[in-house]
Amino acid sequence: MPGDPIGAMLSDRSGDAALEQRLRAAYGLDAPVLEQFATYVRGVVRGEFGLSYRFVGVPVVDVLRDSLRISPLLALSALLIAVPLGVTAGALAALRHNRWADTSIMAVMIAGISVPNFASAAFLVYLLAVRLNALPVAGWGTARQAVLPVIVLALQPTAYIARLARAFMLEVLAQDYIRTARAKGMRERIVILRHALPNILVPLLTTIGVIFGTLLTATFVVETIFNIPGLGRQAIQAIFARDYPVTTAVLLLFTFFYAGINLVVDLLYGVIDPRIRLERRR
Amino acid sequence: MSTIEIVPEQERGEFRRRFLRNQNAVIGGALVAVAVLTALFATSLAPHSYTETNMLLVWGEPDAAHPLGLDSLGRDILSRILIGARVSLGVAAAVLTLTLALGTAIGMAAAYFGGWIDTVAMRVADIILAFPELIFAILLAAVLGPGILTVVLALAITWWPGVARLARSLVLGLRHEAFVEAAVASGTRPAAILLRHFLPNIVAPLIVRASIGVGFIITAEATLSFLGLGVQEPTPSWGGMIRDGLTVMRTDPYLAISASAVLGITILGFNLLGDGLRDLLDPRARDR
Repeated sequence: MPGDPIGAMLSDRSGDAALEQRLRAAYGLDAPVLEQFATYVRGVVRGEFGLSYRFVGVPVVDVLRDSLRISPLLALSALLIAVPLGVTAGALAALRHNRWADTSIMAVMIAGISVPNFASAAFLVYLLAVRLNALPVAGWGTARQAVLPVIVLALQPTAYIARLARAFMLEVLAQDYIRTARAKGMRERIVILRHALPNILVPLLTTIGVIFGTLLTATFVVETIFNIPGLGRQAIQAIFARDYPVTTAVLLLFTFFYAGINLVVDLLYGVIDPRIRLERRR
Repeated sequence: MSTIEIVPEQERGEFRRRFLRNQNAVIGGALVAVAVLTALFATSLAPHSYTETNMLLVWGEPDAAHPLGLDSLGRDILSRILIGARVSLGVAAAVLTLTLALGTAIGMAAAYFGGWIDTVAMRVADIILAFPELIFAILLAAVLGPGILTVVLALAITWWPGVARLARSLVLGLRHEAFVEAAVASGTRPAAILLRHFLPNIVAPLIVRASIGVGFIITAEATLSFLGLGVQEPTPSWGGMIRDGLTVMRTDPYLAISASAVLGITILGFNLLGDGLRDLLDPRARDR
């Protein structure tokens, strides 16, 4: 890694050996590398990530405190829109299999997956904020300012979930128990809602972890576009300011979130699907 | 004799027929062909130099000489988008080549030698796959410093595990075939067995599998460049152009809109083609 952070902090006072000595000690940079690493790991376990290089003497935790709530909130809001919307679109497409509704829904969805979020952000900002003047271009703090970022974040997950939901639904609709339900004269609405839908939720759940991971990465981009003071933008700014403690802390946090969500998903299987519970008991 | 020759011929005809019936694959293939041709002939197609600045025409509106207008330094946007195709597809090709080489070598070695080589290689792959998509690439870009080489390296390091796993499983599937056992029995060196006996038999599915991911590689490069961690000025990249354009959306939307459209359509083309190929090669997945 290039650059000596202490040298950068001293800048025009670079001759001041006593100050340099004190800063090195405060940042623990005077210890051997392995000891520095051990100290860092011990700190992380206690929820401390050392001191920021850019804001001299300020703990990383304080730099990130306000951001810590923003990024997960954005990602979860997007997920709350994407899951119902994606499942509905996918299920509708499957019920109209190979007819024009199916084809057109799927055409929109593959476009939705393909167009990167910053490109769709450009279109949406132009249309909704510049042309129609309906929403603010950027910023953070009001509900209106949150609309565009959340929509942009939700687009790709919605499309991804819709494609999966369609595939799972087609598989479920071909099962014997669906034919049985229909054969005994059950109303189609009940067949779909009570018999088919619950059975596509379990395989969909397995993908929520992956989707949450892509959403976390997407917050880097969306927070940069809309000037939102979240973890993603903090990390990017820290990279350019060579504030390695902040960068490392954000990337570590994102990896923890990701692993945490995947763990929760794994545990939820048993709760949601009785078959998996029975399997385990055997 | 004749029957042996006719069978692959028929298979190829059958593949072509099914490819042409698959709407996605045909549209995707056409879009990809346009993108690749644009990238190849970008310098001849570009009406102006992509670095030539004109401070009198900063953020100039589109006109006959500059159909998409000019950017913050008075550079022709159309020319920069055309050269951007070369940058984008060039990076994708480099990443694809590197990923294939790295993934194939590691996957084959892991499967063939087994033991600790297998364990180490697959655990490293697991670690990389455990990171959320792109986080690893962003981390590497932060450590190595931004630049086109960093992007290629970071993306190759992020993407080899998928290829390695496939190569490993393909080799494991072939390990007990007669031609392999014959080669081992006749004392052929391991390197020669891997290169001459395994590689030709697994290379086609590996290339197809990797090609399906080109859309993601282009997205990843554009994302890194958008964040300022990828391709650097004055080299044009669609991601970087969108970032520059987004800041002046109210007054000069041409840069962000045209770069976004081109990027979106290119990725759509690769994804449609990838989907189509996957449908053709895996009949069970045809409905997905």
